[in-house]
Amino acid sequence: MSGITSADLDTAWDVAVDDAPVALSAQGDLVAVAGAEGTVWVLDMATGATTRALDLPGGLLDVALAPDARHLAAAGPFGHALWRRDDGLTTVSDTGAWSSRATWADEGRVAITSGRRALVLDSDGGELWSTEPAASTVTDVAWMRNGRRLAVAAYGAVRCYERHSRTPVVTYPYVGSHLALAISSTGRWICSGNQDASIHIWRTRDGSELTMSGYPEKVSRLAFDDTGTWLAADGAPDVTVWDFSGKGPAGTAPRSLSAHETITALTWRPGSAGHLASGGHDGTIALWHATSGLPKARLRPARTMDGGAAVTALTWAGRDLLIAAHRDGRVRAHRLPHRARL
Amino acid sequence: MTWETAPPYQKESDLMSESTSAPQPADAGDGRVPVTVLTGFLGSGKTTLVNRILTEQHGLRIAVIENEFGEVGIDDALVLDAEEEIFEMNNGCICCTVRGDLIRILGALMRKRDRFDHILIETTGLADPAPVAQTFFMDDEIAAQLRLDAIVTLVDAAHVLRHLDEEKPEGVENEAVEQIAFADRVVLNKTDLVRQETIDEVVSRIRAVNAPVEIIPARHAEIDLRRVLDVGAFDLDRVLKDDPAFLTETEHQHDSTVTSVGIDVPGEVDEDRLNRWLGNLLRTRGADIFRSKGILAIEGEPRQYVFQGVHMLLDGEFGRDWRENEARRNRLVFIGRNLDREALERAFADCLTTVGTAA
Repeated sequence: MSGITSADLDTAWDVAVDDAPVALSAQGDLVAVAGAEGTVWVLDMATGATTRALDLPGGLLDVALAPDARHLAAAGPFGHALWRRDDGLTTVSDTGAWSSRATWADEGRVAITSGRRALVLDSDGGELWSTEPAASTVTDVAWMRNGRRLAVAAYGAVRCYERHSRTPVVTYPYVGSHLALAISSTGRWICSGNQDASIHIWRTRDGSELTMSGYPEKVSRLAFDDTGTWLAADGAPDVTVWDFSGKGPAGTAPRSLSAHETITALTWRPGSAGHLASGGHDGTIALWHATSGLPKARLRPARTMDGGAAVTALTWAGRDLLIAAHRDGRVRAHRLPHRARL
Repeated sequence: MTWETAPPYQKESDLMSESTSAPQPADAGDGRVPVTVLTGFLGSGKTTLVNRILTEQHGLRIAVIENEFGEVGIDDALVLDAEEEIFEMNNGCICCTVRGDLIRILGALMRKRDRFDHILIETTGLADPAPVAQTFFMDDEIAAQLRLDAIVTLVDAAHVLRHLDEEKPEGVENEAVEQIAFADRVVLNKTDLVRQETIDEVVSRIRAVNAPVEIIPARHAEIDLRRVLDVGAFDLDRVLKDDPAFLTETEHQHDSTVTSVGIDVPGEVDEDRLNRWLGNLLRTRGADIFRSKGILAIEGEPRQYVFQGVHMLLDGEFGRDWRENEARRNRLVFIGRNLDREALERAFADCLTTVGTAA
């Protein structure tokens, strides 16, 4: 229970890893914690006990468990690795290429950024297909159309690829650098957070564009909720939440969620209730009814927790558990009292 | 079809006028990790200097970001390769151009638990220093944790004159001139390979471009590392104390379109007028002004106002207090293309609250 100010929220477990965590992933009965120096700790979701540790030489930037929790992909500055749960086999691809993102399409396929390309691998690391080189190191990837199409963000464009073609099936050009991608579950919207302190939006139906500029800082974290109608983003001390229902956010104002000085993590709770968790550099975690109130409203958190050191990653394990990693190596599972309420 | 929507925040990209030129609270001893940027042509001795920095017993934990493949593997130092990725912005402003590779690599370094004492960035021979320097102004995440300490340019005494004289097509800057213009320190290397007259000529050519720069002669890149690492080169006070005369020297032995203009006038400036002038100057002429630095006496302010800039980007803060017997004065330097000394002097004089003291 250390450091928790909202005493009514239980800590299911509280463990420490010997590194600064940079990413979390939770699937099935496992939680994976990626440490900056290169170790992935695979924890039991129920107890937090380490069941397995594996290493990717040169450090880590991202980790992703497959939806069935039988495989894990890890990405880092010098390559990527895949781990098979059945027999513990770890396949390290020491490509020397910068890999900052891994994301599974389904149990059998994972997309990993690798230098200026994106690779699509089978669950044991075999290459299924890859994209042509982008104009810069690829910064983010996201699956569309039930895993048939892959959107790839790099400098100058978001490009969409399908297996049959090395060249893009659709290109969404932009003068600037995309740092992060979010695609609505409805498939209607592609959003990028950008180095130039803006969010750029394409409506997939006709490629029409919208820019939300004027953020004080670069936008490097943005996420749609499960319904695909709400987009949360950093780029300011307040989390901004945009309403994409109907014709989209053109001409509208966002809700602002005010709790942190510097946002270091944000993640929607699974479901359609509009519950969001955010983390700050100051170590606070805030839980939000992020879609309540009116546009332009400045919302206060439903709960806050002081976790001590800076939050480095947040992820939901189902609707019940919020997993938080802190810079000092603490990893905690906070249990929500109710599956539908905060 | 393009939609526009109301920005949630006041846009800061037309930042030069108000926000960044407005004096900010002092940030002394801020704990940010100092970063040295090493530029210089291929063959100027950059690799030799990097290897010396990595092997010498200085007790610092250093991370090196190289843009050219080296063959170094040194304990206690992290060496990372980077391929130059230039990111321009949608607004088309060259001054917002940053180095995506550095943002990425520095971002990952900062996420590590163990902190480095110092970061060294080695650029390619032909690299434009502007996007490297601008990265430290433009990216808030980096600016919050890292401090650009100095731009150090290595110069090969035997070959630099040829590079400086090289004719470039219209609109293309001579990279050797640019790297010298941006420098806070010039290491004049390979002085053992040329005669004294050549050294004198090279020094005079460097001064014609960048009058205040500290020039460190060297053989085999052997220099006291304290003169290039964590020197606080943006501590203009020190530079000016060493050689206050450079500011008003106007003689140049060579016609150079890239020159320095120094201003040194007693008195105090009006903060509003200063912000208006400096903001407007950098907004309209920033593309041609590579570097700007200054220590100013703001009316009614007990502390010195210290600023430094790269193109249109300016970073200013209040430094130490003016001492009791110290005359309040204003020292500025601009290094850039086609600078009009008289116009700059006149415009700055208009910012003074004490009329008549300026030239």
